[in-house]
Amino acid sequence: MARVYNWQLGREMSYWYSEQRPKRQFGAVFDINKCIACQTCTLACKTTWTSGRGQEFMLWNNVETKPYGSYPLAWDLQLLEQMGEQRWNGSTYEGRTIFEAAPAGERVLGIMKPSGDYAFPNVGEDETLGAVDKGMALSLPQQIWMFYLARICNHCTYPACLSSCSRSAIYKRPEDGIVVLDQSRCRGYQECVRACPYGKVYFNPSTGTSEKCIACFPKIEQGIQPQCFVNCIGKIRLQGWISPPAQAKADNPIDYLVHVRKLALPLYPQFGLEPNVYYVPPINVPDRFLVQMFGPGAPAAVRTYREAKHDKTLAGLFALFGSTERTIPYFKIVGDSAVALDDDRKEFARVPIYEPVHVRKAEDQLLQIMRSNTT
Amino acid sequence: MSARRLLTLASPRHRRRCWCTDHGSLALLMLALLVSACGRGPAVDATQVSARRIQAPLPVQDPDSPIWRDTLEHPARLMVQDITEPRLTAPGVELVRVRAVHDGTAVAFRLEWADTTSDLIPESSRSADAVALQFPLQGGADVPDPAMGQVGKGVRIWYWKAVWQDDERRAKAGAGDRVAALYPRASIDHYPFEAPSVPPGSPTAEAMSNRYAPALAVGNPITRRPPGGAVQVLKAEGFGNTAPAELQQGSGVGRWREARWAIVITRPIDAGPDLAPLKLGVRNYVALAVWDGASGHTGSRKMRSGWTPLVLEAP
Repeated sequence: MARVYNWQLGREMSYWYSEQRPKRQFGAVFDINKCIACQTCTLACKTTWTSGRGQEFMLWNNVETKPYGSYPLAWDLQLLEQMGEQRWNGSTYEGRTIFEAAPAGERVLGIMKPSGDYAFPNVGEDETLGAVDKGMALSLPQQIWMFYLARICNHCTYPACLSSCSRSAIYKRPEDGIVVLDQSRCRGYQECVRACPYGKVYFNPSTGTSEKCIACFPKIEQGIQPQCFVNCIGKIRLQGWISPPAQAKADNPIDYLVHVRKLALPLYPQFGLEPNVYYVPPINVPDRFLVQMFGPGAPAAVRTYREAKHDKTLAGLFALFGSTERTIPYFKIVGDSAVALDDDRKEFARVPIYEPVHVRKAEDQLLQIMRSNTT
Repeated sequence: MSARRLLTLASPRHRRRCWCTDHGSLALLMLALLVSACGRGPAVDATQVSARRIQAPLPVQDPDSPIWRDTLEHPARLMVQDITEPRLTAPGVELVRVRAVHDGTAVAFRLEWADTTSDLIPESSRSADAVALQFPLQGGADVPDPAMGQVGKGVRIWYWKAVWQDDERRAKAGAGDRVAALYPRASIDHYPFEAPSVPPGSPTAEAMSNRYAPALAVGNPITRRPPGGAVQVLKAEGFGNTAPAELQQGSGVGRWREARWAIVITRPIDAGPDLAPLKLGVRNYVALAVWDGASGHTGSRKMRSGWTPLVLEAP
């Protein structure tokens, strides 16, 4: 194994191949606090890519309810249990990654998922942690919690699927870092299915090959965000490009949220893959759970997010989420507007940072009826 | 069971070979020894695979042909693949009984092993049963690494996979596709290519279907095999670079019964330098590998043998 630097762990780690970063790396930020689990993203992906035979169970994009939901079944809990307790020392991970914890004879500590594990995509949906009794119903702040976790392939810097494939059928595109599976080389060994700790590679029994999210690269190549991004009615997603910390640019939206403000965090960074979908953690969840899922920066990220509405740059950047189909490589704040800039830093979209607020009285005097907000 | 009854169970060939009497306890003891020694099948050659030359047509489609009964058996011992990751850490099939016959043009191998389950269609965490015969691309004693060959010293592999044979069986029987076979009670809401607006079986329907089957669309040869294509000929120069050989000549037919697989794989003896030609009357080499689908064996997770001498009887 080679030694590579994983900035999310704050240290070097072992990986099957040497470090080789793409020209630029696909990155994304999901604001969990805005997700309502409408599954529009799931359907947008499903109808676009996985409506064929052998793909019936396959959800390249899914939204699960945490803490009880998971697809495939217990994808994270199984691995966490296998890895056992691990430790962070500040922002440095002192535990073992799935590459370092690989048993003898294996490239990765992976888990084989029986086909039945894909049969319950809605398990745990909308379930909260703990039971709500009469006393708790009026108790604030929230002591009963849940949140929705939207997931796609993380197009990791150090993909476990890629390292596990003995045929080298999986590769990172040098131009954008998107992880793709060569359908002409795959022989269906399922090593990638076993290795991906996020359960985001699927075996297609009809073709006998494995398949995965391709980040809608035909759209990316045209400068357009993927299907699950542009169809998100909650506007929780932003696709762009993530730089290594040393090359972070403050006017790159993803860099700004991840590196500058440290507001968006990787999912289970301790697995060691340097995943490139980043999450603004939910604000109503106990720190211990957040740290386990998003690393030690989670409590600070929550504090930053709580104040984001008062921060013009952050508020403006969040206003750009879902404002345009186009990928936003750069942005700037101009007065009360947030401006999306292309690769040449030319403006192509502009949105107000704060929308005007109109308060309507509860009673419509013209019609002489009481208004309802539950239309 | 009487001694006489036991005797009748032995094949005529064995009865010719065995001398027995049914007088007294000594005779019974001898009988037991003889049944033990002779009653389990044909004679065994533990040192090599000996391919008998026959005049009759090769039993390429029939693992149960009587021709096999009169053919020397080689018990091939298999070991775990533990050279490259991922390795096999727990043993699978450890013994394959190999017999071979040839007609001067082609050689047929009968491979039999114990397997309590027949695993036909791969799905998540489960693969298909499979077996392969491997030959050095160039003859002679300077054989390549038995583990898939090595750079500059390639191998050719005749690879039989249960799912490909089952595809053909289901197609002939009108038994539906792999998904229907795996999940017979599944109800599928809708496939876009089966919408009422798309004529069934039309080029439009096929094109739409392929759009959602990228491996099929790019012509990956493992997705669909031609009729009789349960065997794929592969080339390799070490681990990780297996690819279909340019020439695809060979066949394979298997049957699973009473917890045993019996497969007949046939290949040409000499179809040119690209197909690892064999020579009659001299020592060639063959190696085997078996994958147990129920154990999730695929790729390098397999049981394999080293090079085994193979002699094709000269005229």
